[in-house]
Amino acid sequence: MYRFNEENVILRMTDITKRFPGTLALDHVRLTCEKGKVHVLLGENGAGKSTLVKVVCGLYSLDEGTEWYDGKEVNFSNVKESMAAGIGMIHQELSLLPERTVAQNIFAGHEPMKRKGIIDIKKMISDSQAILDRLGLDYDPNALVKKLSIAQQQMVEVAKALSHDVKLLIMDEPTSSLTSKEIRTLFGIVRRLTAEGVAIIYISHRMEEIQEIGDCVTVMRDGQYIDTVDAKTATMDDLIAMMVGRKLGKMYERNFQKPEDIIFETRNLAGLRFKNVNISVRSGEIVSLYGLVGAGRSEIAMAAFGYDPIDEGTVLLFGKEIKHPTPYNCVKAGMGFLPEDRKTQGLHLAMPIADNVVEASLGKIFKRGFLNSKRENEIAEKYINDLKIATPGAEKLVGELSGGNQQKVVIAKWLATGCKFLIFDEPTRGIDVGAKSEIYKLMDTLVGQGYGILMISSDLQEVIGVSDRCYVMKDGLITGELEHQELTQERIMQFAFGGKGATE
Amino acid sequence: MIKKGKIKIPGIALFVIVLYILFCFIAQSFFSWYNFVLILRNSCTLLIVSLGMTWSILIAQTDLSVGSVMSMGAVMSAVMSNAGIPTVVIVICVLAMGVGVGSLNGILISKFKFDFWVTTFSTMSIFAGLALVIANGATVGFENKFYDFIGNATLPGGIYWLIIITALISGICIYVERNTEFGFNMFSVGGCESAAIDSGINVAKNQFLVYLFSGILSSISGILVAGMSNAGAPTVGVDYTFTAMAAVVIGGTPFIGGKGGIVGTIFGTLLLRILTSGLSMMGIAPTWQKAITGVIIVSLIVVDVVNENRVVKNGLRRIYTDAE
Repeated sequence: MYRFNEENVILRMTDITKRFPGTLALDHVRLTCEKGKVHVLLGENGAGKSTLVKVVCGLYSLDEGTEWYDGKEVNFSNVKESMAAGIGMIHQELSLLPERTVAQNIFAGHEPMKRKGIIDIKKMISDSQAILDRLGLDYDPNALVKKLSIAQQQMVEVAKALSHDVKLLIMDEPTSSLTSKEIRTLFGIVRRLTAEGVAIIYISHRMEEIQEIGDCVTVMRDGQYIDTVDAKTATMDDLIAMMVGRKLGKMYERNFQKPEDIIFETRNLAGLRFKNVNISVRSGEIVSLYGLVGAGRSEIAMAAFGYDPIDEGTVLLFGKEIKHPTPYNCVKAGMGFLPEDRKTQGLHLAMPIADNVVEASLGKIFKRGFLNSKRENEIAEKYINDLKIATPGAEKLVGELSGGNQQKVVIAKWLATGCKFLIFDEPTRGIDVGAKSEIYKLMDTLVGQGYGILMISSDLQEVIGVSDRCYVMKDGLITGELEHQELTQERIMQFAFGGKGATE
Repeated sequence: MIKKGKIKIPGIALFVIVLYILFCFIAQSFFSWYNFVLILRNSCTLLIVSLGMTWSILIAQTDLSVGSVMSMGAVMSAVMSNAGIPTVVIVICVLAMGVGVGSLNGILISKFKFDFWVTTFSTMSIFAGLALVIANGATVGFENKFYDFIGNATLPGGIYWLIIITALISGICIYVERNTEFGFNMFSVGGCESAAIDSGINVAKNQFLVYLFSGILSSISGILVAGMSNAGAPTVGVDYTFTAMAAVVIGGTPFIGGKGGIVGTIFGTLLLRILTSGLSMMGIAPTWQKAITGVIIVSLIVVDVVNENRVVKNGLRRIYTDAE
């Protein structure tokens, strides 16, 4: 139990209930925030964290319960009201306008005015400069946002939130697309803000961040409040147990076996941001590709799958060169690809599971080009059983499934094509802890059946936990190759940073 | 391309100048002050419709009803003038009609969340039909001093008042786009609607205003076109809808919205009119002109897409160097 200093409490929510048609999204939830403290909100996907913060900032109205903010009872009906009261929110997905300047983005929706409706552009730019200075960022306020990197754009999001006089800042998974160095910068900014007395609600999936940045942690599960504990003393096992409601078994379970023949190989591959890449994956093996953001690991996957152009070199599958690699040719040759963003690249959210499962193999399943829903459903049901996809039936829309189950549908789609080699690009990103271990188990089962998997990951624990072998990249080059027993954080980072131990 | 808040000169401006010079060499009698003014004059009504079209495309929608509003405006002017109604009343009525159609589109789309294609296609049909009904199916000639003045009167040097009026309206629109909350919000709404909502922007109000302005501008264009020809033709606006869309897209405001703006549209409009003039003077039949115009539009878009891809690739490479 965490004790709040009553004098500093800025937000107190009690018995918050929120219903959506058919579901009880929040069930008598509590949340208290203190000035100058970081309050971590933890829970699996669908636990109600996002719904709760959306209630806080007025995107959703509350059905029951009371919200006290800054000494008054409030019930914000839109974002404008909560912003005016000093609540800022940084969303998980970047929501900037790429074609507009940094200053225009920072002040989007509340530009300083000369008169009603007429914007004071000079003031807008100088105010933006002041905010950027406060954050220690040296960006040009007149630069177009599309010319900034993802991490820089994330910082602009922070600047945007601070352009209001914020007293309470909500950050929804702000580090999901940042490298560790950029995370340091962001945490520096968070500390600066808390020192100024800003209260912060911080949603994160990353356990290791909680102790580093958090003061207290509130755990939620299935729309219910579980407990609020001290972030510095809580152990990871305790937190996980509270989140999933059961003690978790071992996260990474692997049955390592002797790999067989090479099924996938690149020879001197060069492309958009990499060159001289020679990697191979054998049947029965999970090979991971690790590198810091920008090292070129996703680019290799995209090129190997024929999505990006190849400047030099060849891609071989089962010893045969894939001529003119395009996604079409690669799938035909027996490759499957789980993209980084399953929601936009891997699935049709508004279509049923069955349609998604057969999508990549229509030509194989229905030889004459006529669909047969009975056959389609049989196939979908088979994979729903094999992969243990939690759904009442194959006709359920994919968009209504949880992250982990969505990922399983993507996997099912590729298994249905009869491929033997799979590329997994960040397979557990944005997936909760419980579902993660299921995905790992599934990957283990697949390689047990003779599949070969190339996994791209930015999660070190994951790389160490599940790989048979690991290639490490830096600046577009493979800098090291490590066997399972050699995998330690230190060894990998040495290669990734190109420090001691790296070949030149 | 944007530097320190200065007005950006779009690449299309350069192309317009090159094309103009090119025609001076290959088309007989193209190069004359008289023809230059004529091109400007012929651009006016199209430009004013295109201003509203730019904004509706900027917010990632499209107003198909502009041409019909224009026809309505022209026909109303002619019929009411012939009935002896005072000019002030006529102009007010025509503008009110523009406000009405714009508001109707705006309310249906922003408040009732109707699809903009269906909504503006319906109003397009309704008012195209009404214009025909009012005009009894044929062009209505009329005489009106005010209309004649705005359509045909010139300053010394041969510059038409019409051009001055159009320049003034365009100037106001540029100011609104670049300096007002409404203008800024259009970029937010078109760039990313959900982000605009999260920023506390009243998206519905912005959409409503865009259709309102589009309606008003189209009705003004109707008045001007009636003045130029001293007649209200019930089908005068038909071609304008798609030509305006072409002018906007050529000018650098893509259908996905969120970028571009009026300055580009001005050059897009000039480009189309220079083409028409130049091709006519080269003696190319109007039947061929349409085809050639289409080819040029496609080529421009190809150049733009290639250019954009290069920028994206450079962007990737740049992030790469950042990571070092």
